[in-house]
Amino acid sequence: MSGRIATVRALAFRGLNEVVRVPGAAIPSLLAPTIFLLGFVSMFGNLTELPGFTSDDFVSFVLPVMMLQGAGFTGAATGVNLARDIEQGWFDRLLASPAPRPVLLAGMIASASVRALLPTSVLLVVAFAIGADYPGVVGLLVALVFVAAFAALAAAWGIVLALRFKTQSAAPLMQAGTFMAVMFTTSYAPLELLTGWLRAVATVNPVTRVIEAVRQGFVAGEVSWALTWPGLVAVAGLGAVLVALALRGMARSGR
Amino acid sequence: MPAAIETHALARSFKGDVVAVAGIDLEVAEGEIYAFLGPNGAGKTTTVRMLTTLLAPTGGRASVAGHDVAGEADAVRRSIGVALQEAALDPLMTGRELMLLQATLHALPRAEGRRRAEALLERVDLADAADRRVGTYSGGMRRRLDLASALVHEPAVLFLDEPTTGLDPVSRLTIWEEVQKLNDAGTTVFLTTQYLEEADRLADRVGIIDRGTMAAEDTPAALKAGIRDPRLELTIADGGADRARDVLTRFGEVAPAADGRVSVSLGGGRGQVAAIVRALDDAGLMMDSLDVVEPTLDDVFVAKTGRGLDDQRAREQEQRERSGDEQLVVEPARQ
Repeated sequence: MSGRIATVRALAFRGLNEVVRVPGAAIPSLLAPTIFLLGFVSMFGNLTELPGFTSDDFVSFVLPVMMLQGAGFTGAATGVNLARDIEQGWFDRLLASPAPRPVLLAGMIASASVRALLPTSVLLVVAFAIGADYPGVVGLLVALVFVAAFAALAAAWGIVLALRFKTQSAAPLMQAGTFMAVMFTTSYAPLELLTGWLRAVATVNPVTRVIEAVRQGFVAGEVSWALTWPGLVAVAGLGAVLVALALRGMARSGR
Repeated sequence: MPAAIETHALARSFKGDVVAVAGIDLEVAEGEIYAFLGPNGAGKTTTVRMLTTLLAPTGGRASVAGHDVAGEADAVRRSIGVALQEAALDPLMTGRELMLLQATLHALPRAEGRRRAEALLERVDLADAADRRVGTYSGGMRRRLDLASALVHEPAVLFLDEPTTGLDPVSRLTIWEEVQKLNDAGTTVFLTTQYLEEADRLADRVGIIDRGTMAAEDTPAALKAGIRDPRLELTIADGGADRARDVLTRFGEVAPAADGRVSVSLGGGRGQVAAIVRALDDAGLMMDSLDVVEPTLDDVFVAKTGRGLDDQRAREQEQRERSGDEQLVVEPARQ
């Protein structure tokens, strides 16, 4: 068992090399969510004056979306990196070893979860500086757990595609998938203000539950079980499907 | 003695009806060095990928270290060391980190992993470079690291896919010596190569693979002896070539050789050389030079397949095989 944990840790650390040992390359993905936040707040900051908008502070309202967007892109990058590893033969090294396939998958996913906390940290510092409401310790912890979990989901999604297409050319698909998953939700306005197809999609999109779970601390200033458990169910459900697909992809990689 | 590697009608085809390996029977004994010799695209890499559990066979079966590659893949993986073509190493990791990761993947206890990593780094002469990133290593250093990483769990069977392709002669020699030492210590080695010299020098037995099938298999000496006798090549001085041919015909089949030389087959073995020299001397003929030319594995290859090792068609076959097997290769990017 300890050997398996050691393998997960070793693979997660290797994933972090990309950030730690190539600092220049990490800057865009580190800062992108923050830049989006600043842009959105400037453009749509007055949306809160719309009748029916459930929050009076757009920074606090949209910050969770940016956190998840950053986590989504970090996770998708894990998929792109796996595609590169497959192209260059590194992945063969892992597959030719007796390490259990779920352990290899856990290592890759864990690196995404840890990496996702980096852009989120930058984002939080800037958001608080421009007036986001502090969600309290519990609210912050809940938000960070969901950010790490969403990065894991996005990583699993990217890994499924990498195993299927075996080429970095699939990168846009990995990124677009996570981007749309976060976009077609209550990302920029409460459900009551959405219309037409977007309202329908946002209603059924499980990521809406994740956003609301992250958002509760920032908007309401407190964490409630009623807004937390649907998020947990959404993460668990998506996770079960994506991990099953990723494991199937690994088992079929030499078919 | 049980076989370290055994295949029966092992086959692999890819989509588009590309047949990369068309039914191969192999038996490699424990402690043997077996070389798979063939041009690019002959099916060498596809075979190695099947034997190392990276690719599922589409026909036949194979076992390595007594375990079926399809049904008991995990047991196979625990028994084998694998160094694949063009050492896939992460340029951001250091040599030591790679060795430790490899030890972790094989579930070695931490202290044991460290001990073996250090010993192997020392052994392949990378101890001084162990904390440098692999990205700064030369081609020879990368291959040595890749070889060392394949040994960290002391595998019974070692697979080396073109271990010295693209290396300079000195680096090649270092790898050969290391492989020889490993084999002396009992490790079974299965290697693929397109270098005849490599097969000749290292292998106990050579299998010649061509277009996915075995064209020939034996010890290097037997393969060479099987195709033709050694020949004596002579340079005859001062236009005595015609008379020399008359003399030489008494000993064997005479044929012109390169650079205006004349050659005669030594059907009776090398011992005939003395008699031939005496006969030429008796006829008053002077020789400027003489060489005994043994058949090479290249000659064997041509004899068995009807073409040389670097044939153009082979390259085309490889491209077809790759398009079925591998993926589009895109410029690497780091995210």
